Formats: sequence, C-alpha cells, structure tokens
Amino acid sequence: MSTEKQVKVALVSCGSEYAGVQGELEKVTSSVNAKLVFPEIDIASLDTIGRDFGIEAASPDLRLMMARAQAVVEGIADVDGVFITSCFRCAEAAIVRNEVRRYINKHSNIPVISYSFTERTTAATLMTRMEALTTIARRKHLLAREKQTGLTAGIDSGSTTTKAVIMRDDKIIGQGWVPTIKVIDSATEAFNRALEEAGVKAEDIQAIGTTGYGRFLVGEHFKAQLVQEEITVNSKGAVYLANKQKGSATVIDIGGMDNKAISVEDGIPGMFTMGGICAGASGRFLDMTAKRLGVDITELGALAVKGMQEKVDMNSYCIVFGIQSLVNSLAKGSRPEDVAAAACHSVVEQIFEQQLQEVDVKEPLILVGGSSLIEGVPKALSSLLKIDVLVPPNSHLIGAVGSALLASGFVEG
Amino acid sequence: MAKVIIYPINSLILSDLVERFGHKPLAMMEKIKEKVNTVGVDSPPLNITAEEPKMGLKYAAVEVPAGVRGRMAIVGPMIDEAEAAIIVNEASMAFGCMGCARTNELTKYLIRQKEIPILEVEYPRSEEEGKEFVYKIAEFLRSLSTEERS
Amino acid sequence: MNNEEDVITKIVVISSDSVLPIDAAMKVYESETSITIKETCFGTMVTGPRTAVDRVVDELRAMDRNHIFVKERGFHPGDERRCRSVRGGGPRPGFHYLREEVQMLPMIGKALDAYDKHVPPAEIHRAEKIEVKKLKEIIESNL
Repeated sequence: MSTEKQVKVALVSCGSEYAGVQGELEKVTSSVNAKLVFPEIDIASLDTIGRDFGIEAASPDLRLMMARAQAVVEGIADVDGVFITSCFRCAEAAIVRNEVRRYINKHSNIPVISYSFTERTTAATLMTRMEALTTIARRKHLLAREKQTGLTAGIDSGSTTTKAVIMRDDKIIGQGWVPTIKVIDSATEAFNRALEEAGVKAEDIQAIGTTGYGRFLVGEHFKAQLVQEEITVNSKGAVYLANKQKGSATVIDIGGMDNKAISVEDGIPGMFTMGGICAGASGRFLDMTAKRLGVDITELGALAVKGMQEKVDMNSYCIVFGIQSLVNSLAKGSRPEDVAAAACHSVVEQIFEQQLQEVDVKEPLILVGGSSLIEGVPKALSSLLKIDVLVPPNSHLIGAVGSALLASGFVEG
Repeated sequence: MAKVIIYPINSLILSDLVERFGHKPLAMMEKIKEKVNTVGVDSPPLNITAEEPKMGLKYAAVEVPAGVRGRMAIVGPMIDEAEAAIIVNEASMAFGCMGCARTNELTKYLIRQKEIPILEVEYPRSEEEGKEFVYKIAEFLRSLSTEERS
Repeated sequence: MNNEEDVITKIVVISSDSVLPIDAAMKVYESETSITIKETCFGTMVTGPRTAVDRVVDELRAMDRNHIFVKERGFHPGDERRCRSVRGGGPRPGFHYLREEVQMLPMIGKALDAYDKHVPPAEIHRAEKIEVKKLKEIIESNL
C-alpha cells in the first residue's frame, strides 16, 4: 500500500491547534499515507465571507473555515478529501461545521468527514474515519466494483461478533457467525464454519478481505489481500445486498459498540459519522435488555414488535441510565414487550439525535448490522423517520460480504 | 515600566505603542514562543498538548470547549500578570490566537474584573478617529508612568 | 535560561515615505553580525539574541520613528511548523490579522505625528442607532 500516492486532506478546522489535538490529527493522517493541508484562500474573501456564505459567525476562525471550504469547492485548493473539525460543545462551531459539510458535499464530489473533538481525542479514535476518507479518495476504482467474482472470503472481526462468508460468482455459499472472544481464534472459527458450509478448502480461496475492529490482526493472520475499515466496506456491502448500487442511499449500521450512518452515492460513501456518545446507542444495550428480560437476543425483536414503547419511559443516552430505567420500569410492573419496544426505540432515538444530523438522509434507508435482525429496531426507525426502512437479506453479514466483494478485485484475471 | 496586557492580544499596533511609550506589552507572541521552543514537547504546530485545556480549567469550566480552555491556559496567566490593560473594542477581523469569539469574551471579562488601570477604546474608522485612538492610548500609557513615579 | 541564548524574532513593518525596506535591511547588515533578517510581504523579520535584536530594532525605528512598527513573533522565520511550503498551502492564521493591521499603519503614523506636535484630536461624534419612535415617524412620513 506504500506505493499508493499520498492523499491530500484539506483541514477545515477551528480550535484544533489550541485544544491539543492538532498533533493527533497529523499523526492519524500520516499513518494512512495522507497529508493535511491548509487550503489556500483568496484573502479578500475573508472580508465578505460571512455574507457570501451566509453565516456571520462571531469567531474569525469559523469565517476562515467557510473561506477554506469555498476554496475547496472552487478548486483554488487542490485536495482529495476534506476533514472538518471543531471543538465539541461549541454551538457556534457546530452550526458552521454542519453547514460547511453540507456545502462541500453539495457542490463537489470530494469526500468529507466531520468530527467534534475534545482534548482527549486521539489518533486512534480517528483512525477508522481517516482511513475511510483516504480510501474513498484513493480507491474509487475498487469501490466501483458491483459484482463478486471468483472464490473469495470476507471476515468481519467486530467488537461483539465475528462474521465470515465465502462467496463464489456473486453468491454467498457459506457463512459463519460467532461471538468475538479472542480475535484470531474467533475469526478462525467463523472462517472454518463458512468454509465447511461452502464445501471448499481454505487453500482454494483466491482472495480474502478483512474488516472490523480486528481487521489488522486478522488480515495479517490470514494474509488478506484487502484490509479495510468498515465504513467503505459496509456501504458497499449494504447497497450490494439491497441491490441499490446506483444512485443515492443511506446506510445505518448499528454495531455492537458503535454505529455508522453513511450517505452513499453510487455505492461510494460521501458523508459519514461513526460513534455516538455511549454504547447506550448501540447493539450492546439491546443485548443487555435481552439478558435482563431473560430472553435470547434473537427473540427480543419479536417481543418488541408486540409492545408499545410509549408505555415505558426510557432513555439510553448513557447505558448506565438506560439500564436504570429498564430496571425501574420492570420494578413498576411494565410488560416485557413494552420494555423491549422502548429499548429499541431508545437506541434508534440516540442514532437519530446523535448521528443522523450529520448526514443527509436520502431514501432508500438501508439498515444493516446484527441489530437490524431485531425486528423492533427497523420498526422503531421507520416510525421515527416516517420512511420505509430496508433490511436486506443477510444484513448481519454486511461487513463480511462487503469484504468478500471488494476482495474479488484482487482475483487474478 | 508597567506590564500592559493588550486586546487583541496579538496586535502589532498595540504591542508597538506600548513599547514605544516605555512599557512592556504582554502579548501572545512571546507566550507562543515559549511554547514552541519548549524542548521535549512535540505537538506541532504550537506545542499545545492535551495538558493545556486541563490547565485552562482554572479560567473556564469543563463544559467550555477544549479550544477555549487551551487558549485560556496561555492568555489566563498573562491576565494574572497584567498591571494595566488596553482593550480595543470592535476590532477588525482577527485569527489564530484571537480566532475564537468565546475566548475573546472571556478574556475581556477577566481583564475587566481586575483592579488595574484599563483603557477601552473603539477601533478607529476614519483618520480623525485614528488620531483620537492614538491620543487616548498615548495619554493612558503616559499616565501609567506618572502613577508609578508618584 | 541564559540570556545570551535567548534568540528572538521581531517583525519590523515599514510604513514610511522616506525609508524603504531595503534601506532597513542594509542598516541591519551594517550594524550587526549576529542577526539574520528575512524580507516578507509585510515587513522584515529580525532574528538573533534579544539584546542585539532590540538594539537593531531601536536603530531601525530611529530611521522614521512614527512610521516604523515592531512586534515580537512567536515562531522563527521558516519554522517548519508554520512554514507555508511544508504545511501545504494557506498561510498561518496570524498572517491575515497582520495584513489587516498593516493597512492601518499609515493612519496610525499620521496620528503619532499629530500627537508629537501636541495637536489635540478633534471631537468625534459617533452616530447612535435611531430610536424606534423616530424610525416609525420616518416610515409613516414616507408611506
């Protein structure tokens, strides 16, 4: 990968140099063979940018952000991607950051990510995001692949579960899904199961792709041709499984530890967010709810569909508070199905409040990840957003399928 | 010679006038120089690390954004040290150290809380106003010397 | 820290009709050997030991006292952490502010000349926002 050209990422930021995170930003960009550049601007534009762009921000550095965004869109600055960032908890910056992100997305094809930092933000936190940004900029040809060819495998080493698939000639012929315990052991087990189901041998596999938190370790172990973060892989996997490879789509992936919301255009991510404040907004909360209700996670969805979330007051903004309201409601005699529905609603509400504000939701909305199988979740999302939610077949295997699909780009001939 | 904090804290004109009339400007540039020349700290470009926003807690609460607290870690001690202040209100666009409006509000507030001689002048919009601007600043700086002597 | 080793940079901005930046540069070359200078769009950066820089800066100021301005700078010239060519593209943030201030210097220079001549500034009336009542009257009279 070191032979690939260095990607130029425009830094459109306010406060990063004073918050102690600039060094971390530079560290993460250089680790993905990219370089942060400060877009050259037309100096005279600073005097009028507030009116021209439309936000007369009081902070001059925010005006500089707008001017830099304008320079990127107008091509004065020649860059491959844009990283927009400002201080967490700054209202003024949040307004500008969001509008600048929309503006760049609307007026250019340059991939953009937006992030609000605290002094505790580290390069590791930003790794997946920056990797995705540079991949989109650098590997558009790879992401353009719409069909799986040859015999390939994909392994998604997630924080909670590890998934593996074997694909041949555009079809899934084997799959494995195990809880993540030891990263390599779990990946091996999932892979072996998939191989067994497919009836093929490991040595016959022509290319392997890995993704998820454990992608580097697993990728090295299996000598994978493709080791790729889950933003690009899952976008690709989602539109492939949902058969929506052309045009706009929005992908929401509710993972075991964090969530991704991605605006996709022709299978390539444009804007995306990752994270959320707390695991209270993730599949982990649903897992804990199932345990507390004494049902298997696979039964939680059916239970939730029968319940009414309105009957239970629940907010999982913080997972501890979420569990507290879960326990309280049960103590007050709430019905398990209502509690299950409330838990699904709460997770979806967190995604709506914390993440969907950062991307433009365009239909179809494709929901993927293990949590999409919990029927209460797509139902809650659909009723909250008032649009149809599409859960493609094998939606829980999204990362593995995306990896196997993209890995086929490495199959000879 | 009095230590005079200037606002905008990176102003060429104010820094120059303070020095010209025999006082010591407390300006951001010197603090930044200390930071960037600190051996062993490698956090480019300003050598501000995650420690500064924590030090800034002395001046602003934890819910205040990190960029404000990081700046206050540098500006705050300058305010503590100041023996007099010149504040220019409605100054023209400023960037970098002065790039955050919230930090600037807090800086001005903390200066005004101090019991030191403070001159507040408006940013000049014409040549006549420029004359008044320089006159007021010059007279203020001269008065500081007189006070010291008495 | 040893004062001898305290290397500083001051930026000298010349806004004079009688002194050109090149004259200032020549003056520096003539007077000090321990100093390096760098011409920029807006002024001359003078770097060296503090005492030598202060001495040179005083000499420079004396060339046209009210029309030469000085401030200290945090970064030394060419510091990679702030260098445009290394950092890719746009200027350091302080640049924009300096540009704003430099445009004001002729006015400040004239004002300093007037101050030296003990010319008191003219009384200035700044327009206040008009009262709502007055605005209402204007609107009504124009309808």
